[in-house]
Amino acid sequence: MVVKIVTDSLSDITSDVADVLGVTVVPLTVFFGHESFLDRVTITAEQFYDRLINGNVWPTTTQPPPSTFADVYNKLAEETDEILVVTLSSKLSGTYNSAIGAKDLMQKKCRVEVIDSETVAMGLGLIIVAASRVAQSGAKLDELTAFVRRAMNRSHFIVYFDTLEYLAKGGRIGKAKELMGAMLSVKQILTVKDGEMSPLTRKRSLAAGLDYLYSFVANYSSIEELAVEHTTTPNEADKLVDRLGSVFPKERIYRSIVSPVLGTYGGPGALALTVLEAE
Amino acid sequence: MKQIESVNGHDLREMFATATDWLEKSASDIDALNVFPVPDGDTGTNMLLTMRSSIEEAYRVNESSASTVIQAMAKGALMGARGNSGVILSQIWRGLAKGLQDKETFTGSDLADALKQASTMAYKGISNPVEGTILTVIKDISSASQKKVADNSDDVIAVMEAAVEAANESVANTPTLLPVLKDAGVVDAGGQGLYTIMEGALRYLRGEAEMMQFRKPQIIASNIPQPIRLPQMVAADEVPYGYCTEFLLKGEELSPDKITIRLQKKGQSLIVVGDETTVRVHIHTLDPGNIVRYATSLGTMHQISIRNMDEQYQDFLEMQKERTPEVDIATIAVVAGDGLAEVFTSLGTTAIVPGGQTMNPSTKDILQAVKAAASDKVIILPNNKNVILTAEQVQSLTDKRIEVVPTKTIPQGVSALLSFDYEADFETNAQIMREAQSTVRTIEITHAVRSAQLNGLKIKKKQVIGLLDGDLLAAGEDTFAVLNKMLAKMDLNKSEIITVYYGMDTSPTEAEQVSTSIRDKYPQLQVEVVRGGQPHYNYIVSIE
Repeated sequence: MVVKIVTDSLSDITSDVADVLGVTVVPLTVFFGHESFLDRVTITAEQFYDRLINGNVWPTTTQPPPSTFADVYNKLAEETDEILVVTLSSKLSGTYNSAIGAKDLMQKKCRVEVIDSETVAMGLGLIIVAASRVAQSGAKLDELTAFVRRAMNRSHFIVYFDTLEYLAKGGRIGKAKELMGAMLSVKQILTVKDGEMSPLTRKRSLAAGLDYLYSFVANYSSIEELAVEHTTTPNEADKLVDRLGSVFPKERIYRSIVSPVLGTYGGPGALALTVLEAE
Repeated sequence: MKQIESVNGHDLREMFATATDWLEKSASDIDALNVFPVPDGDTGTNMLLTMRSSIEEAYRVNESSASTVIQAMAKGALMGARGNSGVILSQIWRGLAKGLQDKETFTGSDLADALKQASTMAYKGISNPVEGTILTVIKDISSASQKKVADNSDDVIAVMEAAVEAANESVANTPTLLPVLKDAGVVDAGGQGLYTIMEGALRYLRGEAEMMQFRKPQIIASNIPQPIRLPQMVAADEVPYGYCTEFLLKGEELSPDKITIRLQKKGQSLIVVGDETTVRVHIHTLDPGNIVRYATSLGTMHQISIRNMDEQYQDFLEMQKERTPEVDIATIAVVAGDGLAEVFTSLGTTAIVPGGQTMNPSTKDILQAVKAAASDKVIILPNNKNVILTAEQVQSLTDKRIEVVPTKTIPQGVSALLSFDYEADFETNAQIMREAQSTVRTIEITHAVRSAQLNGLKIKKKQVIGLLDGDLLAAGEDTFAVLNKMLAKMDLNKSEIITVYYGMDTSPTEAEQVSTSIRDKYPQLQVEVVRGGQPHYNYIVSIE
């Protein structure tokens, strides 16, 4: 029996990709005041950003309850006896805890392994992509778990914030908190380090930011997968994809939209890149 | 709304007992604020110990008369007073006791009268009252409570609310009155302590004692926006602080006034308070022996404490260091102008050493900032060609590792700072920052200090001149015109961002006009205007 893979909506895996890979994506909940939405189920990423920028209510997100994971486990247990769950960083959300808590709520007998990916967005997404291929080829749960842990070291995620305004509004995320309140307009480039958002460098313009993103990718000699994501500027992301065509086959680059948790802080104009280095 | 018509001795004692517990919760935070008169970091602790002694005495009398309780509290405060703020606090208590004399219970207007006495008594105890301290706070408390009573309110809670609100505003305002607080970016510690006590007492009256167990008093933020911590400012001059000398003098026919006159020239921060039989003395002196000899000639000495304040100051610096989060690599920038200081701070500079053109900092100034930095790897940005050499001397005076990135202008410093790579190690970062300073060009607009002939230009004294990366390129009568001349000399086609930092003598309106004109001429550029507040230079313009 093939191991079934479960992740959360912060992996930025779109529903069509999930279908192809045979992966189950559990949505987080997004709140705008008292209104709640299931991430990418009852609200699209585009709708989310529209409300983030134009609305006056600051959105919050919450982890899926353990019962949602338990329902997923129970359903999958009808087709398999081994499930691997890989969640976004436990330092950014309690989703990992929900996924673990759900194991106690299971009625069916089935092995469930839960891994904290210590990353987010396509940083997590590309790990899932690679893992699903290994699962399809017949790997068992222990082997797959070891594979994912190794893949975590190969996944390199960076994100460009066009404005720090949203970072400041949304409070603090990890070590990035020291960036609040810059007097000049500064473009910030962050990464995920030890599961937390952590600053990498700063630029004064979009062009300089794009140069940095490009050379970040160009510095890897052997790339297995590549993903480019945007929040509100698909055209800039497409241009970056065109440019990256010189170092990696353009048609193989995954395109997605940055998920709400990160997008809330990144605001409009943010761009994210993930390199999955070859093993 | 809860109202209280009158308060008896029992409630008076309980309200200040609760206030003391409240103060205890933030005593260490208050210690950390302490920069005046000596940054020894013990104000919170001293006020707490003074309050404890006061409350102990109040429990000892165990009576229900407000007058008796407050007399006991005043006595306890005097006996147990510690430090400057503690002694002033004991004077406040003494004033309250005077105001509430013979009152079994007191009303809102009684309280206001007593607070007025407290304010008068506090000022009386000090030979050189300084505003922006606990004195100003008790004065403001007094006037606010008078005003509340004048508005026809005799409710104790309403008067206390007015007092606490006034105390809050007054504390927030202390940095405006006392420059040393402003420089350190803190409010007055003694004032904060008094506010915390008053607030604690008010909370008791409101019936919030239970809830207070789970909360903590708030340290009031300075009303000067975004204060910048300048650790090296605190120790600007190296006058030794000497010994903090405190004792209780018991005798007969003692005269606090005479003692004050006698000790006035023997030291600083002199406080002498008390009555004919008990006098408390607090003084910062270089020669405590002298003081002790004089005191023993008058009576017997008790609770003698002589502490070396230079040691206390070192401990305080250590404490401050512990409170500053450790950074892997510290950056220190030499900057003149509060706006520019904010720019550097907002970009993550660990410390700012004030200085620049015509006010070059000394090696010692920079060394002090290096010592205070919570890292043993320090990058220095001199931001002026006359400071580079000074900065380079620092390495020979410290065990810390120093890299001087030889930035000659403010924009070069900003560029270097922006390029900081959080992942890279110390040497790599210094290298990256060195390279980054060449990605920016700097225009400075200032006035000639003397007549000269330079680069084929005849310059008259006080004429407006324009420099590009330090080279004189244009002169004229009008800053605007010279700036335009300078911009016209440059190829701006490859540039992306122009940042205009306008100086302390330049109006924001003029700066806006300048930027609008640049935007009109070069629509492809992103133009930003930032208040730099720098002296001498009307404009510093960064072109990237």
